[in-house]
Amino acid sequence: MDDHLVGVLSNIGMISFIALSAYLLLIVGEISFGQQAFFAISAYASGIATAMWGWDFWPGLAWGTAVAAAAAVLVGIPTLRIRGLYFSIATLAFAEMVRLVFEVFKYQVEIDGEMVGPDGSDGFRDIRYIFENDITAVEYMLMIYGLLAAVLCAFFLLERSRLGSIFRMIGQDPVLAEMQGIDVTAYKILALGLAGLVAGIGGGLYAHLTTFVEPKIFNVMLGVHSLAYGLIGGLGTAFGPLIGVAIDIGFLESIRAISGYRMIAFGGLVAVLLIFRPRGLLDEAAVNWIRLRLRRRHA
Amino acid sequence: MLALDGLSKHFGGVRAVDGLDLEVRQGEIFGLIGPNGSGKSTTVNLICGVFPVTTGEIRFEGRNITRAPPHVCLAAGIARTFQNIRLFGHLSVWQNLWVAQNAMADRKASGFLNRWFGGSARARQEVEALLEFAGVAAKADDLAGNLSFGEQRRLELARALAAKPSLLLLDEPAAGMNVEEVGQLRERLAKLRDDGMTILLVEHVMELVMGVTDRIAVLNFGQKIAEGTPEEIQNDPLVREAYLGAPQSAGGGNA
Repeated sequence: MDDHLVGVLSNIGMISFIALSAYLLLIVGEISFGQQAFFAISAYASGIATAMWGWDFWPGLAWGTAVAAAAAVLVGIPTLRIRGLYFSIATLAFAEMVRLVFEVFKYQVEIDGEMVGPDGSDGFRDIRYIFENDITAVEYMLMIYGLLAAVLCAFFLLERSRLGSIFRMIGQDPVLAEMQGIDVTAYKILALGLAGLVAGIGGGLYAHLTTFVEPKIFNVMLGVHSLAYGLIGGLGTAFGPLIGVAIDIGFLESIRAISGYRMIAFGGLVAVLLIFRPRGLLDEAAVNWIRLRLRRRHA
Repeated sequence: MLALDGLSKHFGGVRAVDGLDLEVRQGEIFGLIGPNGSGKSTTVNLICGVFPVTTGEIRFEGRNITRAPPHVCLAAGIARTFQNIRLFGHLSVWQNLWVAQNAMADRKASGFLNRWFGGSARARQEVEALLEFAGVAAKADDLAGNLSFGEQRRLELARALAAKPSLLLLDEPAAGMNVEEVGQLRERLAKLRDDGMTILLVEHVMELVMGVTDRIAVLNFGQKIAEGTPEEIQNDPLVREAYLGAPQSAGGGNA
């Protein structure tokens, strides 16, 4: 398989996790500009585990993901008491705080005569697990997609469950949901924790693919993009944000002839969709229409 | 069953509800009528805990629920519909009913899988019955937002019933309905009463109010100006002056 293609596909897979993370919060009606923070926390935590503590990859990834989810819950407890625009601003502020902390975060140990570990704004080099263990780019890509498939299955189960209905109810009319006996704040904290977990999986995968993370990658543009993916692809199904990622990374960023116009095309796309399809291409109505068609054909 | 005792709600200097005493008895349909701005909807919102009460007391089945928040009132057995339809339009008709029902008492009875996926056999049966009642069984999988206006009104009523309340607060359920639909609604409400439901009906459509209620209270400027059977109310000079108008228009439409 062509190296460039493998690289692009791996990228699409990793970014899909943060897009799904932002999507989950859009479902419960909150706009977070800060999901990149949990992506970053897991990238550092899992990198530290494998490169410095000598852990295996899977426990390292699980650790990074758990730290990201825990951070999300801790952030959620105070911030989800504020709603709407104020929540968005709080997430943005939190994400920038996390980035600035990593700019000064130094924690290095000597391994084989070399200093390894996060070194402030110079970043965290030599997260070399997949090289040292002879995992090829294609194998790693398959690992990414295996995890993505598992997360997607979880999303589809969620959509079929009462929890998924409750999330959407809260997203549409939190006051009415509250009147029906739903503890809106508790469910939102749960959603934020799950979203942190999903972003965390992506962050851990990212650190090990690039072998090198630096704080400036996790700036607010990553958060803005991950929000936009769901709004482009649609909020009716977990496939929505994936479509958004595929359009942006797979098409606009990766085809060299047009990559220079990426931000222009991307911004235009978002603007047009916000006017004509404010809840994305695959919004709830479109998804329900497709679902009913499919069922009729099978019946 | 429900007793309001000197209930008042002031918004700044406006006395939306002012010293209201009411008693709704078990098994009756109690009408609450009055001109726009007379405090009917505010009363409903006070009873189910949406607005905090300024002064006075609300007792429901002997229990003081004056300060209870909405979900506590719901758990106590008071369900409502809204003057402006409020449904979860992005969710299917079935989901709207299922979650409303599951929010209530038997949540601990059914197991994890039943509770979170698909519902127990009994829960599903109850949802089916409500779909029939609302006349939307064929559209169970459609999004609630895609239903017609009349269907949405019926679904809202069914959703309130899904919580298995003992008291139903209906805030202008006939608003925007045509004559035929009002007739059907009247039959539905009468059937609910026959099944033992207690209903507090806020309504402008006199055809419905006069045709189905057992007793009526009339509000004006937040105060009760009359109370009695539909017949007594129709012949009350104070009510005619404040609300119903001349006798020949008393039977028809919006006053």
